Amino acid sequence: MSEVILHAEKIDKSFVGTHAIDHVTLDFYKGEIHALIGENGSGKSTFTSCLTGIYHKDSGTFTLLGKEVNAKNQVDGNYQGVAIIVQETGTLSGLTVAENIFLGKEDEFTKFHVKNTKAMNKKAQELLNSYGFDYIKATDIIDKYNFEDRKLIEIVKATYFKPQVLIVDETTTALGEKGRKELFKVMKDVKDDGRCVIFISHDLDEVLEQSDNVSVLRDGEYIDTVKSSDVTTDDLKKLMVGREMSGNYYRADYGEPISDEVVLRGEHLTVPGEIEDFSIELHKGEIIGIGGLSECGMHEVGKALFGASYDREGTVTTADGTQIKDIKTAIDHSIAYASKDRSTESLVINDTIQDNITLPSLEDIKRNHILHAKDERAFAEKYARQMSTKMVGVHQFMSALSGGNKQKVVLARWIGKNSDIIILDSPTRGIDIRVKADIYQMMDKMRKSGKSIIMISEEISELLGMADRIIIMKDGRQNGEFLRHEGLKDTDLIAKMV
Amino acid sequence: MDTEKKVKLSLMNQPLFRTVMPFAGFIFIVVLFAILTGGQLYTPGNLKLLLSQSYVLLIACVGVFMVMTMGGLDFSQGSMLGVCSVVICFLSNVNIVLAILCGVLTGGLIGIVNGFFNVKRKITSFIVTICNMYLLRGMVAYATTKSPVYGVSNITSYNTMGFNLTFTIVILLVAFAVFRYTGLGNRLKAIGAGETAARFAGVRVEKTKMLIYMAAGMITGLAAFINSIKVGSVTSTAGNQLETQIMIALVLGGMPVNGGAKVRFYNIILGALTYKILTAGLVMLGIEPKTQQLIMGIVFLVMVAVFADRETGMIVK
Repeated sequence: MSEVILHAEKIDKSFVGTHAIDHVTLDFYKGEIHALIGENGSGKSTFTSCLTGIYHKDSGTFTLLGKEVNAKNQVDGNYQGVAIIVQETGTLSGLTVAENIFLGKEDEFTKFHVKNTKAMNKKAQELLNSYGFDYIKATDIIDKYNFEDRKLIEIVKATYFKPQVLIVDETTTALGEKGRKELFKVMKDVKDDGRCVIFISHDLDEVLEQSDNVSVLRDGEYIDTVKSSDVTTDDLKKLMVGREMSGNYYRADYGEPISDEVVLRGEHLTVPGEIEDFSIELHKGEIIGIGGLSECGMHEVGKALFGASYDREGTVTTADGTQIKDIKTAIDHSIAYASKDRSTESLVINDTIQDNITLPSLEDIKRNHILHAKDERAFAEKYARQMSTKMVGVHQFMSALSGGNKQKVVLARWIGKNSDIIILDSPTRGIDIRVKADIYQMMDKMRKSGKSIIMISEEISELLGMADRIIIMKDGRQNGEFLRHEGLKDTDLIAKMV
Repeated sequence: MDTEKKVKLSLMNQPLFRTVMPFAGFIFIVVLFAILTGGQLYTPGNLKLLLSQSYVLLIACVGVFMVMTMGGLDFSQGSMLGVCSVVICFLSNVNIVLAILCGVLTGGLIGIVNGFFNVKRKITSFIVTICNMYLLRGMVAYATTKSPVYGVSNITSYNTMGFNLTFTIVILLVAFAVFRYTGLGNRLKAIGAGETAARFAGVRVEKTKMLIYMAAGMITGLAAFINSIKVGSVTSTAGNQLETQIMIALVLGGMPVNGGAKVRFYNIILGALTYKILTAGLVMLGIEPKTQQLIMGIVFLVMVAVFADRETGMIVK
């Protein structure tokens, strides 16, 4: 192997109640793409956040090419040779593209205390062109660009100054085909240049395809490093979970008849700019999968059915004829909705696990019209436990939980509400395999007990694996419908998406 | 230096610290003024006086407490108390029960106006209530231009400790029961901590907000009644700066200014009492009003900094 570029020595970090990374020692080499994998809460992001100055480590040292790295913040990290591209939006609205790229580095263009905006814009445009993103204009306000383009701008921002170590943290889940290609190209450039990429992803196929070596973390501890060419995704799963995982965690049945009983009917749904004349009938005990490209309008369908869309036209009717026009009515008529946007829509992040689970069920928890603290607690504990949420206690704040655990709380809430119609938008986005398997199992159980599910998903394998019926959307309209069938292939679905 | 600062900051986010701190502050103030005034502050006579000055603040705090739990603010309380007092004093000459009813109704109507502009017109509560603070103060000034508005001559006969104390305790108990045992408190906290998420969990956010602004106004109507029977008349300065007193009191009681999940009902009582002892103590020590204001300003700023829930962010709705 070639020379060590970055050495991490006994890195340690604790948050209130959790030991996020436990004395992790790890080497990274010149000219490698080094994947870092592990389940939610295993400490991958904490590790890289400590390196790049997003968090401050409790103890341990990072040594980059013989020099200790001690980043106070991300910009400081950049100057010390490390950069990160994150999962969520890392650009600031209201600023121009150029201002975003050079955020915190304006000094480079400042002479005699005057910022030379023109020079900055020129430099930014040159950089964009050199990456092949010449359709992005440096002087434009960044809000003009969609999520994917903003991610590309972030790639430029994180790599133009040739950092020795580039961290790509869960970025691919947010990107489409084009964005991924660009990202992988940039990663390869860094590698060919003799520098190093630390690649974090939940998609194990992608991990094996892109990386040279894979290191596994579990519960904050370092487990092992393997060569990507020597292992299969099953081997990786085993390392991550610490026990054997069966290869197939989707439901196994095919050809079960669907009940004729319609529990929810959406007719001629239109939301300006999102969906166009979309109709859907959900049957008792059925799982409908809705798929498509991320901008096809499928995410709005969930909101429209839940009564949460602005300006919705068309009708949503439950079996007893109730019109669903607002969220409260939807919940009162046994409809549950877990949004794709977990941190602002699904959960009150700055509140406790207990409050999040009990919020829609407060009226049900009351005894003789009185809400007792003891009952609230018992209710929350019951359903948090049922979902095996990893927590100190139900009084813990949501913000301290990892992504997978947050989603478990969302599901615990709706299981507690005992809703019969469950709308899940991207239920397993950014979630590791063990929790994924739990969620699929839960969905299968719900289906068998007569509950009906609408699963909106960008993951084709999930649609094929779980749905009785798959609706593919394109440009806000239904563009294809498939019944559950063993011979159904991903290419069949993709053909209707594009 | 840097690490030391961080440890301190994270200490303030410890639940235990949040709970203990306002109680410790209360005890500190009590002991401090016991020593400084040589026990003078706590003679039965002075304690009675202290209590008699606390009713209006205690009652008015209840409404603002609920508004602030949702992440809002209400600066119109002082002027609102003035307007309600005018109505109560004026109508007390007709019938005392009618006076109370109309006082409460007036407060409720003003609350609805606050709510309308905040909820329907989507203007932050901070701006709406400051506008109304001036508007209502103007109304009080008009009503009292020639002379103060006098209540019926026997109105002050209600001003007994037994009546006032019972009145205040009943209001606090009812408010507590509603806040704690109907789920209203949970909903308000959820709105304060994350409005969108609360809406997606089935909380009728707009309705709840309107209701709370109205209720806060009605409660101030009740406080205006206590104010009226105590003074017997209304001048143009009635209720002046009550809104700031309320806010300082709540923050002294450990309430995060931006509301949310960390709000506790005892913030009201603890805060109002701490505030009253603090001001009474400063007066007794013979400290000039301008110096008092200076001290209150510093105390307020420090407490806001200590108790703000930084994770929720400084969002005033």
